[in-house]
Amino acid sequence: MKPKVAFFDFSSCEGCQLQIANLEERIIDLVEVVDVVSFREVMKEHSDDYEIAIVEGSIQRPMDELRLKDIRSKAKILVALGACAHTGCVNKLRNEWPVEDVKKEVYGKASISDNPYFDAFQAKALDEVVKVDAYIPGCPINREEFIRIVTALVAGKKPSIPNYPVCVECKKNENICVFDLGKFCLGPVTIAGCNSACPNFGHECEGCRGYLEHAHMDAQKDVLKKYGLSVKQMLDRFNIFNYRKEGY
Amino acid sequence: MKAMSKHEWQYFINNLIEEGSHKVIGVKAKGEKFVFGPLDSADELRLDYDTTILPPKKYFLPTHEDLMRYNVSQPFNVVHTVDESPRIIVGIHPYDLIAILQMDKLYLDDTPDDHYKAARKNTLIVASDIINVSQYSFAASMATHTIAPTRAYDLLVTDLGEVVIIDIGTESGKQLLEKHGKTREASEDEVIKVEVLRKDLASKYEKKVNIEKTDWPALLLKNYDHPVLKENSEKCLACGSCTLVCPTCFCYDVEDLLQLNGKEGVRRRTWDGCLMREFTKVASGEIFREKILDRYRHRIFRKGYYLPERYDFIACVGCGRCVSACLPDIADPSEVINTMTESPQSDEPTISFPQIPNTGVGSIDTHCLFVPASATIKRIEHLTYCETLYELVKDDQTPLGHQPGQFVQVSLFGIGEAPFSVSSAPGGKSFEIVVRQIGEVTSKLRTLKVGDKVGIRGPFGRGFDIDSLKGKDLLFIAGGLGIVPMRSLINYVLRNRTQFNDVTILYGCKEPNEFLFWDEVSKWHKREDITHMFTVDSCPEGVCWDGDIGVITTLLPKVDFNPETTKAIVIGPPIMYRFVIKDLEKKGMKDENILISLERKMRCGVGKCGHCQIHGVYVCKEGPVFSYDEIKDLPEAI
Repeated sequence: MKPKVAFFDFSSCEGCQLQIANLEERIIDLVEVVDVVSFREVMKEHSDDYEIAIVEGSIQRPMDELRLKDIRSKAKILVALGACAHTGCVNKLRNEWPVEDVKKEVYGKASISDNPYFDAFQAKALDEVVKVDAYIPGCPINREEFIRIVTALVAGKKPSIPNYPVCVECKKNENICVFDLGKFCLGPVTIAGCNSACPNFGHECEGCRGYLEHAHMDAQKDVLKKYGLSVKQMLDRFNIFNYRKEGY
Repeated sequence: MKAMSKHEWQYFINNLIEEGSHKVIGVKAKGEKFVFGPLDSADELRLDYDTTILPPKKYFLPTHEDLMRYNVSQPFNVVHTVDESPRIIVGIHPYDLIAILQMDKLYLDDTPDDHYKAARKNTLIVASDIINVSQYSFAASMATHTIAPTRAYDLLVTDLGEVVIIDIGTESGKQLLEKHGKTREASEDEVIKVEVLRKDLASKYEKKVNIEKTDWPALLLKNYDHPVLKENSEKCLACGSCTLVCPTCFCYDVEDLLQLNGKEGVRRRTWDGCLMREFTKVASGEIFREKILDRYRHRIFRKGYYLPERYDFIACVGCGRCVSACLPDIADPSEVINTMTESPQSDEPTISFPQIPNTGVGSIDTHCLFVPASATIKRIEHLTYCETLYELVKDDQTPLGHQPGQFVQVSLFGIGEAPFSVSSAPGGKSFEIVVRQIGEVTSKLRTLKVGDKVGIRGPFGRGFDIDSLKGKDLLFIAGGLGIVPMRSLINYVLRNRTQFNDVTILYGCKEPNEFLFWDEVSKWHKREDITHMFTVDSCPEGVCWDGDIGVITTLLPKVDFNPETTKAIVIGPPIMYRFVIKDLEKKGMKDENILISLERKMRCGVGKCGHCQIHGVYVCKEGPVFSYDEIKDLPEAI
């Protein structure tokens, strides 16, 4: 019996699901090992009978929370797909301001008070609402990592993501350190698994995969300061994909 | 020495590339830096480089290397993937060549790494004298800036601008030159130029180490807690960059990668590094060097003390790659050594590391280090709710040939490998392991049935020296899972009871339902030739228990033993060691008569991958059984 898999999305660009659609011919390998019962981006059919729920996006409203809890109750395994689901991503940047101020800024005088679609609260990552069994980080996700995690789930293994920073992959790829190119990189504190995708092309890592649980943030701040970033600029960088109200 | 015009040199390199019998690798530009990579033409080759981002180590221990390919449905039809394609690497600087010679000592020792061995055998090395010095390098202080004249290279080239001078190191190098190039004898003038170039090179280094490299080990002993280590570790990102770019960091991890179809897979090794937080993490979750300070110190001491003590070389060649890779600027070994030299923590050693005999690793098929032998599960017995015993028989019907205290690597294709103590006494065709379900391998083992196959490597490590126990009183003290390796020795002793004097067994667990081998243990009641006592930390209400209640140390005062004639065998969790050993010492036991077994992360089992190292000690080779006096001065041991 192939496990039944359903894809869902909340607030997001849906680019991570697009990454899966972009697997192209490897989709065939995928559907040989799982039974995709719901995937709005690529099929019309839908079923509520699934074992694995792969959920993209962050949670913005009470109605999102209810829907996510409903998905959780139906799924044996719930996977957070992409940065929005994993960390809240850029959706969380608005948490810097009170919700009412944000609504006023965005919707002005439009009448939204009784409309549940606009009943926003502070943005949340999935694991702030329900238990998440596995994460596929990144903005967007890395397709190889997606395959690896699905392979583990199908084989009954506990899927895992690297416990070391992007620097490890970047060094193995023999890149020129982007600090040497005059840029500021968050690779030393960011969870690897992207095969250092951005530094491979001379771009700085912006931390889209989230920070390592035990990242030495103070040391990272010292480095950024040494290379010329102000505290404000530093916080702006730290916050892009990993907003924390309490700061860093 | 031979000479070629620059034009002839380029012709020689292009000839090598076109002829195609070898893959030709050389130093090329990458942006404003340099890397070793495949050459398309001699025009790409840059002998004027200062240093490369990664050392040529990547061709002998690749960043990612498939050790074997397999199909899960036919697990033991393993394709052992040793890359045997011939290569020439052009432009290796002396410091990198010296690093390779150091790696040879580790990887081509009594248990050679067959992948490394093949790569070394199939690679011709065309070394190059340094023309431009890297601003980060202190190679002259490490005497690694020149290597001539030795036979460590096949050819050594010196780029004099219009002319390239070549020293022939081996017969293979000579043939290569004769077959593909046109040379003449170097003139006396040219030979002098080369000598001057090498002689003047040292003066071009701005970075210096202020003591002789041979004095590093003694200096480090005086500075185990030097403030520079703590200060630097507070700035350290623990990103691992310093170890990843290092030509003398040889540690690796191994993982199984399956295809999406769940059938085909590879066992792959990748570079690992001791600065990374989970480098020492074992399946139960314990991390043995959790503090960045301990990891930072380990790197410096490994280079300057642990490897030097074992192999007689300083495992830093002064290439400066870590200096340039480290963002907080704290990785530079020369700065650490210079700071310690200027203001040492003490004039006397602040720590002493004992000599532990390197006992080798027993019977290992050195033809292929990583390919496991197939074994069949003969019997499965669930001992508790989470511990299961597996009786295994090797399919070639040979006995395992282990000593009590040794371990095996159990291999499940598609999942990975994990180390397990052998729990049965030596002898017989089958052997037993006990598995607690805590990790990937153990969870999968739990799903296997009698008749299923597993892979076995080993036995590994140093077990108990049975001869030294003969005629002695034996005091066994087991806590929790400690009974698993101890049972191998206990059963040997009980079977050969007359060879030993008094035997006392103390066994404690947290709760009554955690006792293992209850059937066997119950039989001890009937024997009059052993004393035994059991205890539990606590007993839940309603559970029947007629032993003691209290931690294992509460049993010790009830035992009458002569510390002069007794050997204590103590195996349990780290916390237990601290208290039990203290109490044994109080009773007058000498540390050399207290034997313990240590748990660490083991990957290779033969002292190469680096994970199990406690300071300079490889637990997989020199342990896991130690006498307490061997490890009591190692701060990281218990």
